[in-house]
Amino acid sequence: MVAAKKNIAIVAVFIAVGLAFYFYKEYHRKPDNISDFQPVEKINFSIIVKGYQNDETIANKQYLGKIIQVAGPIADIIKQQDTIINIFIGDINSLHKVSCLLDKRNAGSIDKYSKGNDITIKGICTGFLLDVELNRCVIVDTGKQ
Amino acid sequence: MKNYILSLLFLLSMFNVAAQTKYFTKTGSIIFSSKSALENIEAVNNKVVSVWDVATGQIELAVLMKGFEFEKALMQEHFNENYVESDKYPKAVFTGIIENSKAISLAKDNAATVKVNGSLTMHGVTNPVNTTAVITVKNGIVQAYCNFRIALADYKIEIPSIVSDKINKTIAIAVTIPSFQLLNAK
Repeated sequence: MVAAKKNIAIVAVFIAVGLAFYFYKEYHRKPDNISDFQPVEKINFSIIVKGYQNDETIANKQYLGKIIQVAGPIADIIKQQDTIINIFIGDINSLHKVSCLLDKRNAGSIDKYSKGNDITIKGICTGFLLDVELNRCVIVDTGKQ
Repeated sequence: MKNYILSLLFLLSMFNVAAQTKYFTKTGSIIFSSKSALENIEAVNNKVVSVWDVATGQIELAVLMKGFEFEKALMQEHFNENYVESDKYPKAVFTGIIENSKAISLAKDNAATVKVNGSLTMHGVTNPVNTTAVITVKNGIVQAYCNFRIALADYKIEIPSIVSDKINKTIAIAVTIPSFQLLNAK
């Protein structure tokens, strides 16, 4: 009987420690690294831009909060602050583009690119203001430029 | 409100002469922070869109709620799903007037503190916001900075009692525009 109680106590301690560890890890979990995930859609920039221009509500249902991979020509590259790079994909003369925000740590190959080059980027779609906005982006190496 | 900034830009682009007094940015940032005895929370959004008409003083800012980045994933998930309900209310928009817009000269290096009065719409609720901003012109670059506080209850953002000690009831908002560009300048 005593041995049974002792075993139960040991199991209870293990469960309590396990739960505490789980909650600690969950509480301190960092946002996902997009590099490790497959996109839910791989599309040309014009499709997602047109989608948002046509009906923002429907486009949000399709793209908002999801990892989207977008391909197209670089319209502009803007370095914001010291740590952020904003790459605009689309037609240079168009008001609406796809705006891709990269942390410099995820922009290792950006020096290979300049305006007009084709690029493929995946990131989390956060919606539409003047541009379709992608956050936490990474450059996808497609083997061509 | 859905496409307010967008329609404003279209409207502005129709008046090329008048547009010489209109500035915009797509690269502003907003940092919000909550400080409490148990935890400090901070989130940043680096994709603030703003249009400023220097002649009239009218200024608009818009931001996507899902664009706020937190250090901890769980906080970001709770922020979007439980607090600001960003699927239902994806944008926050400030519309206002810079009362003494002419206090700043855009033709030379200088800085001025200006009064900004307007309204902030977030989580489906609109409230007045009155604050001051500092506008700086240096080497032809027009920058702006302002900060103010909002009460979560004013925007019907409810914080569960289990975490209420970790989140301040008023949130500090800091807005930075690193570079306003002249509309139609590009």
